[in-house]
Amino acid sequence: MRKVISFTLNGYNVSAEVESHKMLLEVLREHFELTGPKEGCGQGECGACTVLVDGYNVDSCIYPAFEVDGKSVVTVEGLLREGNKLHPIQQSFVENGGVQCGFCTPGMIMSAAALLNENKDPSEEEIKRAISGNLCRCTGYVQIVESIKKAAEMI
Amino acid sequence: MKRFDYYQPESLKEAYQLMEKFKGEALYVAGGTDVIVRIKQRAIEPEALISLRGLKELRGIKDNGGLTLGAGTLFRDIERYPLIAKEYPALHQAASMLANLQIRNVATVGGNLCNAAPSADSAPPLIVLGAMVVLEGPGGKRKMSLEDFFTGPGQTAKEPQEIMREIHIPEKDANTATVFLKIGRVSQDIAIANAAALVTMENKVCKRCRLAVGAVAPVPLRLKGIEEKIEGEEITDDLLQEVEKMVCDAVSPITDVRATKEYRRTVSGVLVKRAIAQAVASLEG
Repeated sequence: MRKVISFTLNGYNVSAEVESHKMLLEVLREHFELTGPKEGCGQGECGACTVLVDGYNVDSCIYPAFEVDGKSVVTVEGLLREGNKLHPIQQSFVENGGVQCGFCTPGMIMSAAALLNENKDPSEEEIKRAISGNLCRCTGYVQIVESIKKAAEMI
Repeated sequence: MKRFDYYQPESLKEAYQLMEKFKGEALYVAGGTDVIVRIKQRAIEPEALISLRGLKELRGIKDNGGLTLGAGTLFRDIERYPLIAKEYPALHQAASMLANLQIRNVATVGGNLCNAAPSADSAPPLIVLGAMVVLEGPGGKRKMSLEDFFTGPGQTAKEPQEIMREIHIPEKDANTATVFLKIGRVSQDIAIANAAALVTMENKVCKRCRLAVGAVAPVPLRLKGIEEKIEGEEITDDLLQEVEKMVCDAVSPITDVRATKEYRRTVSGVLVKRAIAQAVASLEG
């Protein structure tokens, strides 16, 4: 079963013909060649595939592609500002050692973006809760929390 | 993963018709955070999924003295509903401890109940709150208490063609408190054991008590016999010790990757004891 889905992707109106069993993550990576979102566990545990759908962070590996029809999707690539300038959250991860191997980073940044969209001045506890669905197997959580805290100050 | 067709009906009627067409080869799916994972693990191989996400009539929270939750209401919306945090803290606590944000942004309360995992976090609080569920199918609606809804691990009284529409919570009595507690490796993990308590106190005596535990029996379990033991009594340390022992005897847990049955048995007693104590304390505070 196939269907043409139309949605907003990182601010652009796009459409794609996809198969009914495809998850959003595969469509983003394979059709749109956006390889920021990663497949870690593929089961909604690790958060490496986190993207925003209508502003909320979701695991794109278990989000049926058919369901984004008419919605808005933002990946880590969509945070870039004019002139390929990094978003303050991305800049803060670079400056504060929030990136080690980098595999969890796009998902971490999207969960941070969802948090900071709603809460401009989160406490450390709120930051930790907001990224509790994102696993970092380098275990670099201290710098990640620090990066999000500093990003909140920059925004 | 086996491929599947994915239908997005725009009305309940259309959903029933699709289910009829596939004669048991299709599954209803809401947030998909259980169903899709099980398909990916090849634990189930449905021909088709019938998505309930587009059905607006399944969504939303109504404050009508009691509370009516559309079965398609997201855990994120329950977690952030101020009246639930204030009046039904056990439900609020369960909704905010269920998995993580990415899951709560898509997972629905009806999906959690219909998947009927014995560990489902939403079940114990809703059972102690006296929740009734409304099931609707091509033949009409029926209503039953949530504790009767669960029939086994992954099994419910719902017929395959039926859809859970609503969950009704009766109005809260005065001097009543509820608490939900959960033991997991971390709180967003699937529960090793969970428990909810409701107590109504009057002049230091427990007038009404409702207790439920999860992940320690084939279904989320209401502890009727133990409730009766507590009602009409003053809640003392001695009574709580006795309750703890009774819970350990009442449950029938299994050993799995998360914990041994011995650990589950022990910890379920502790959780119930603490939940009662905390509920009583919150009324005194």
